[in-house]
Amino acid sequence: MRDLPASRDLLALARELLLDELLPLLPPERERDARLIATSMAIAARETGAMDWPAEIIALLNCFYGETNSDLLRRFAADLRNGALETSPSREQAARAILWKLTIEKLREGNPHFLAANGFRSVAGKGK
Amino acid sequence: MAVTALPRSETGPADRQRALARSLAEASGAGAVEIGRIALLPGGAIQENWGIDADFDGGPLSGPQRLVLRCDGLTGVPSSLGRIEEFAVLQAAFAAGVTLPEPLFACADPGVLGKPFFVMRRVGGSAAGRPITLDSALEPARPAIAERLGRELARLQTIRPPRADLDFLPSIGPVEHIAQFRTYLDRHPNPRPVLEWALRWAETHAPEPLPSVLCHRDFRTGNYMLDGAKLTAILDWEFAGWGDPDEDIGWLCCKGWRFGRLDREAGGIAERAPFYRGYESESGRRLDPERVKFWEVMANLRWAVIAMQQSDRFLLGGARSLSTAITGRRATECELELLMLLDPAGAAERAHA
Repeated sequence: MRDLPASRDLLALARELLLDELLPLLPPERERDARLIATSMAIAARETGAMDWPAEIIALLNCFYGETNSDLLRRFAADLRNGALETSPSREQAARAILWKLTIEKLREGNPHFLAANGFRSVAGKGK
Repeated sequence: MAVTALPRSETGPADRQRALARSLAEASGAGAVEIGRIALLPGGAIQENWGIDADFDGGPLSGPQRLVLRCDGLTGVPSSLGRIEEFAVLQAAFAAGVTLPEPLFACADPGVLGKPFFVMRRVGGSAAGRPITLDSALEPARPAIAERLGRELARLQTIRPPRADLDFLPSIGPVEHIAQFRTYLDRHPNPRPVLEWALRWAETHAPEPLPSVLCHRDFRTGNYMLDGAKLTAILDWEFAGWGDPDEDIGWLCCKGWRFGRLDREAGGIAERAPFYRGYESESGRRLDPERVKFWEVMANLRWAVIAMQQSDRFLLGGARSLSTAITGRRATECELELLMLLDPAGAAERAHA
């Protein structure tokens, strides 16, 4: 229904224009600003085209707590603060898996280079 | 930057320059001070630093002087000292032999520039993080720089409470840090389970406290100046306070301050060994890796909260700065590092998976 090219493609083209053609014309003291703009555009593009990992996290939390609730992430955070998940090793392990999933998925959108530099896959695959 | 204390160039408001010249003359005992070039220096996300060339007519500074004037920026962040207090910390550190620009005068009178400021000498060099960690010309000197930083840190830790001249400094240990971080998270709209999990670990693994020392609390790459390979200044003392001697060690080694060289664990410039060696030889205290790990966890927690506070300057404070707005995203980098530090088995399981 939306007109084409899609916003993601426009962002990619705009980013190329910024980095390849405009950046060399800027004075050195503005180079960092241009790179920040390019980074912001890249984040936006990845968020636009990414899989719905927040829904996956909610599904994991629903399963973890055995109930459906829109605010389970807050409850999860509170339980971690209070040590409520430390009484059972399997529960603790499951909680930790959610923490890893949440963090890796956020970085796949926000800073995949940092993820890769730390030895993790920067794009979703068939791995864990 | 919409509001500044000083004009961007010599053609700016002359009354402020005159007021500043009078203030400098009075503080230095000069008959008169003529202010030449004034320019906003790069860096300083929270404070403004102005380079000033001034000519002193008489007094101990008689002649041309290159100075830096430091004052508040547009928006501060919590736990930042005021400029007059920061000046007192600089004086104490300078007297203790820490390498920093000599602090000269402080002025609390808002009638001069509209806000408090202090003036110090201007030294050569650059503090920009990436050029320091990535410049291949620095390669042979890196261990010596790291060792020197260790010595500097040990030297500043010779400043210990009680000190009448520094009685305004907060005393913050793990309990207070954890309480502050949780208070912040409680006010933040988005839950941060990883930070909560790591805070719980910190709460249950805090080491026995050591006697308090002066902590710089931002002692890291990006906050020291190098002129070539020579250390010329430790900068930005606005977060200083009393605390654990390992806190600054953990902060400098925190992954967030390695500027593209994650493999060099001492601030992106060298391995830990030379940094530790410099510290241990100057302080006479052997570092305990478990204690340092604890403070590295605390460093990542603190960096995450600071990153989120930077974004708050946009989200809540209205600061229209992309640089500060986007910094909040870095909190997740700290969360990954917390997971890697506290769950190495989980990290190994997921690496390259």
